[in-house]
Amino acid sequence: MIKEESCSGTNIPLKIYGLSEKSVTITFGTTIDIDLLDLITDFNQLLLENPFSGLISTVPAYTTLTVFYDPLMVMSSDLPGEVGFEKVSAYLNNIVPTQTKKAAQVANELVIPVCYGGHFGPDLTTVALANHLTETEVIDIHTGGHYTIFMIGFVPGFAYMGGMDDRLSTPRKNVPTAKIPAGSVGIAGNQTGIYPMETPGGWQIIGRTPLKMFDVNRAQPSLLKGGDRVTFKAIDQAEFNTLLEIGI
Amino acid sequence: MKISIIKPGLLSTVQDMGRYRFLSQAVPVSGAMDELAHRLANKAVGNDDHCATIEFTYADAAFKAETPVLISYSGDGAFLVYNDELIPAEKPLFFSAGSVIKLVNNPNGVRTYLAIAGGWQVPDVMESKSTYLTAGFGGFNGRTLQKGDVLVSGADINQLSNKILNQLIGRSLTYPNWSILRDSLLPEKRKKIRVVPANEIGWFDAASILSFLTHSYTIGLRSNRMGYQLTGKPLVRKVKQELLSTAVSPGTIQVTGSGDLVILMADCQTTGGYPRIGHVAAVDLPLCAQLKPGDSIQFSEISRDEAEELYLEREHDLLLISKAINLKYTDI
Repeated sequence: MIKEESCSGTNIPLKIYGLSEKSVTITFGTTIDIDLLDLITDFNQLLLENPFSGLISTVPAYTTLTVFYDPLMVMSSDLPGEVGFEKVSAYLNNIVPTQTKKAAQVANELVIPVCYGGHFGPDLTTVALANHLTETEVIDIHTGGHYTIFMIGFVPGFAYMGGMDDRLSTPRKNVPTAKIPAGSVGIAGNQTGIYPMETPGGWQIIGRTPLKMFDVNRAQPSLLKGGDRVTFKAIDQAEFNTLLEIGI
Repeated sequence: MKISIIKPGLLSTVQDMGRYRFLSQAVPVSGAMDELAHRLANKAVGNDDHCATIEFTYADAAFKAETPVLISYSGDGAFLVYNDELIPAEKPLFFSAGSVIKLVNNPNGVRTYLAIAGGWQVPDVMESKSTYLTAGFGGFNGRTLQKGDVLVSGADINQLSNKILNQLIGRSLTYPNWSILRDSLLPEKRKKIRVVPANEIGWFDAASILSFLTHSYTIGLRSNRMGYQLTGKPLVRKVKQELLSTAVSPGTIQVTGSGDLVILMADCQTTGGYPRIGHVAAVDLPLCAQLKPGDSIQFSEISRDEAEELYLEREHDLLLISKAINLKYTDI
């Protein structure tokens, strides 16, 4: 288990590879796993709170954390090493996320209101039929689940969520829909997700949230981030309209 | 300073050095595809490299100086023409109010950058002036420039720009005898792209790695600011394992399920799940920005450390250029 190596705080070096002249990627494990997510979140938070000179930003993903930096600033630092990769690696290897529990501190728990079915969720019937369920059962199962945000990717604010009940698994559409409205909640295979902006897409759309999943005017434009926990709550059209007007 | 767009051309957007601090929220880097040309255009008018420029795609565009302007351009997509006179690139150009400047075809490339003293004034969105068209934010109202758009320069013009301006100010077009020698920064062979082997290169069989580094690849029609699809000998996977989505960046060369190569460019997604065979050296990414569908390229391998060395050398050269321009105007 690679995770144990990193957690133990011993001298086993991190697995790091160069992504470009301006970035390195740390590999923490090989499978999608909540403990690994918490470890990456911990490490990321610790790094952001204690940046090295030249750190620009980081990108957490399922099993990796990528660190972007300014090579000129890194090269002028007194970190050990002859090249940028060595200097950044030396710094990263000194970060020991043992028992920091940063993940728990920075993770948010959010309830996402969704108006299921109707013209907001044109594929609710498809999902129900594919799984021999009633539409109400689909909604109950979907709102009964606890979901974990593993990473943000694909388009701005799109959250890769884990934790959907396999009873809702439905293949994606053969022909993608040209325009899926922002806020649409969909299912593809054993994943569920929310479209943060209007894009084409092949997911089965079961409902829509009035929340703005991505808003350039917020300090954190993406509503969700890696490590967050989410549940869904069914709302009716009137509540949807009210929340939309409030504009969260 | 102010200009109006008479003819917008194929795809004209306001760009800067990109948006790096929101990658974790899947906001792409964006920014100038040819960052070198963007920076040289800025340097020629005395700007900081981070000032916004207009990125024109090919030619067939025109604009009018609504006030006297101090501008410059760089890149390979177009030449600037004024009164049927070809205007030199990479040098400061003073135009009086009312001048109409056209962009005519330059067969060498695709993208041309227009800088103005003080930079183009558009609101910062997530700390950058770059346009990201897919989500419709940044730049000029999150969109491509259209006929009739009026663009203004930033109010704060630095001391160097002011000195350049004061020396050139006149009745019509004036420019100095100096220019930045862009060619001296670029390799002779513009279709030879240096690449660093990527993390999953070992997932491909030896014959495929060899053909990646020896065969020619052609830029496909489906190529844009997000990335270029290449046509050529498909690569064969030795390791069939799935790659869990992880960070990618402009310059990353992915291999799709069918074995085809894709070079990710400025507007690429922040994460990807295709195995990566290489990464374009940062110093050669501007060359990629000037490639057009049908162009044939070849990759050559360099090490990670060599790529970094080239990058640091390039930055050093760019610093020297800035110093040299400053020196020209120290006693004025």
